[in-house]
Amino acid sequence: MDLELLQHAVPVLLKGLGISLLLTVVSVLLGFNLGLGLAMMRLSENRFVASFAKYYSMVFRGTPLLVQLFLFYYGLGQLSVVRDNAVIWWVISDGMRCAVMAIALNTAAYTSEILRGGLMAIPVGLREAAKAGGMSPMLRFRRIEFPLAIRQALPAYGNEIILVVKGTSLASTITVLEITGYAKRLMSQTYAIFEVFAIAGALYLVINLILIGLIRALESHLMRHEGR
Amino acid sequence: MKFKVFSMIALLSILGTSTYAADGELSIGTEGAYPPWSMADANSNVTGFDADVGNLLCGKLQMKCHFVVQAFDGLIPALKAKRFDIIISGMSITQDRKKEINFSVGYAELANMFLVPKTSDLVGIKDIDTLLKGLDGKSIGVQAGTTHAHFIEKRVPTADLKTYDTLDQMQIDLASGRIEAAFADASALQDFLAKPEGKDFQFVDVKVQSKFDSTLGEGIGVGIAQENAELKAKIDTALCELVADGSIGKASQTWFKSDISRPCS
Repeated sequence: MDLELLQHAVPVLLKGLGISLLLTVVSVLLGFNLGLGLAMMRLSENRFVASFAKYYSMVFRGTPLLVQLFLFYYGLGQLSVVRDNAVIWWVISDGMRCAVMAIALNTAAYTSEILRGGLMAIPVGLREAAKAGGMSPMLRFRRIEFPLAIRQALPAYGNEIILVVKGTSLASTITVLEITGYAKRLMSQTYAIFEVFAIAGALYLVINLILIGLIRALESHLMRHEGR
Repeated sequence: MKFKVFSMIALLSILGTSTYAADGELSIGTEGAYPPWSMADANSNVTGFDADVGNLLCGKLQMKCHFVVQAFDGLIPALKAKRFDIIISGMSITQDRKKEINFSVGYAELANMFLVPKTSDLVGIKDIDTLLKGLDGKSIGVQAGTTHAHFIEKRVPTADLKTYDTLDQMQIDLASGRIEAAFADASALQDFLAKPEGKDFQFVDVKVQSKFDSTLGEGIGVGIAQENAELKAKIDTALCELVADGSIGKASQTWFKSDISRPCS
């Protein structure tokens, strides 16, 4: 690999790294909150609310993220109803915002399933004890259910965040210049396809290795009383 | 065994029969199905802009033209296998193709133009320098990997360049107002203007040609086998003369209603 190419490619790809991280962080934050809401809806006694959450996760998990991105970006962009609505158009008009929305909605579906599993794994006895102790549903959720559920769900959720990091590469298809977007551009400038994509791949790998480390650390912090 | 060898030789001799230049005859490979460049009828009579260029070239070289119709993607392999002497088939000169075959000087070039909304402040600009200044900071759409993309990267680095995998995607974004200008060759953008979505758009009246900046490629050339240097020299001279005396320009007017001939530098 020649040094000149490296000097040219690495700073360009690092610019993309910032955008990839921003995409990941914002969509994971939005997706987590949405997903938590959906998981609780899914467990609701109200059948309408529960089935909404069920079909939401079915649709978003059952279609490829790339298709969702194209639908939101190119598809919605063609409708004049969307273009005339200032707020919706603000989101849809920009590739970056549109990508955040699509990835967040997508990861929310997976997150809801993961958290649902966590919430369902809480022993009934603990819940009943909290109820008997006079805790309000809100307090019960905050002190008992959520901490236990997240502890249970964390390994699977860590996996989902890694998938989101990799999913951000699809944003390059809707004009967002993140790592893959810049890599594609460098490819047509330099024809050094192997080198450019090897560096891009290494960047994703580094992000994910750090993420895995962080999640492991968080996991052992949450499990510190478990003695294993 | 003997029979096998014999049939092999027979087969090879059939395959090897080439239409390669009999003296005084120039055989030209062309696609024959790419109007208005090259159209072949049932009797293999070839018409179109490329046929005219071929005939003009033969006239100049005082040779007899013989057209061989062949699918576009097979033209370069067939030239290398000496099925014909040259290719005239609206073929752009690119770095990749240059690795396989030689090219003459470019004899034609499609105009590269900017398409903008009718309300844009770029409408009415007539010269390239004002146009490039006006594009500063604007979002410009191009197809990824094209010479157009390289041109904007080099000449308007301050622009917000949006690259698309296909021209269709670029046109959708132009129509929805996500980009302020699109840069491509005029014939491709013409298609968009003809559609209903194109009604609010128009060209900026500046043709950006490769003589302005070599990143835009070298135009459309005649393909010649690499070992045929002598023929290349003859064809280059002939093409330059034909463009200079306006004969290729005239043929272009017939087929494209505009002059797409490319002068030798």
